[in-house]
Amino acid sequence: MQPHEVFAALADPTRLEVLTRLANSGPSTATELSASMPVSRQAVTKHLAALDAAGLVDRHPSGREVRYSFDPGPLGDLVEWVETVGSTWDRRLDRLSRSIE
Amino acid sequence: MHGEFFEDLTGEISVERSIDLSVPPDSVWQHLTDGDLLGDWMEGEVEITARPGGSITLLPEEGDLVWGTVEEVIPGKRLQWSWRTDEGMPTQVEIEIGSAGEGTTLSVRETLLPWTTTGLPPQWVDPPSPMAFLSAAA
Repeated sequence: MQPHEVFAALADPTRLEVLTRLANSGPSTATELSASMPVSRQAVTKHLAALDAAGLVDRHPSGREVRYSFDPGPLGDLVEWVETVGSTWDRRLDRLSRSIE
Repeated sequence: MHGEFFEDLTGEISVERSIDLSVPPDSVWQHLTDGDLLGDWMEGEVEITARPGGSITLLPEEGDLVWGTVEEVIPGKRLQWSWRTDEGMPTQVEIEIGSAGEGTTLSVRETLLPWTTTGLPPQWVDPPSPMAFLSAAA
């Protein structure tokens, strides 16, 4: 999963709220999540599918429903992006400084 | 437990750096807008048309081609562009320079854009054409 795809999955406020609830309350079904949020079960299900595609949740089938749990793995890709881009600019600015002076 | 991290994500994910240089802003500006000079310190081959809507491409010494569009040009002060690789990874780069005594302070910010490959604006779907240095290298 690429960092911008993870970030895109997190960029929607409702989707971020779904993920925050999973992270704080533990594994939940779409029905449970929608009961405590001002959005429909269908909307929550869509958001969970997007989070699943980004690898941010794990699916656990449970009877007729699916329980979802938070998977923090892809967040490491974002941290890695910040580190890689930071060291690239450090190198570039150092090179600019040496070539210009 | 992860609440604070998520609150940070509602803003932007960006990297910021700055550097003091001993030469005046006009001289630094040349190193931002001349493709050969820009490529020297950006570690690759650069083509840039330094006007809003102009194209920018970087073929790095290591890594994938990055290409995009110049968005803002304020001569001697500010340059902004957005670009991506073929695989995605869209970012916006903002470079600002200002006088600092007889020298120049340069600050750069690169921000990750939360676009999926399928959700890209039309101008981002295909690489600019022709890319002269690519065909020259072939």
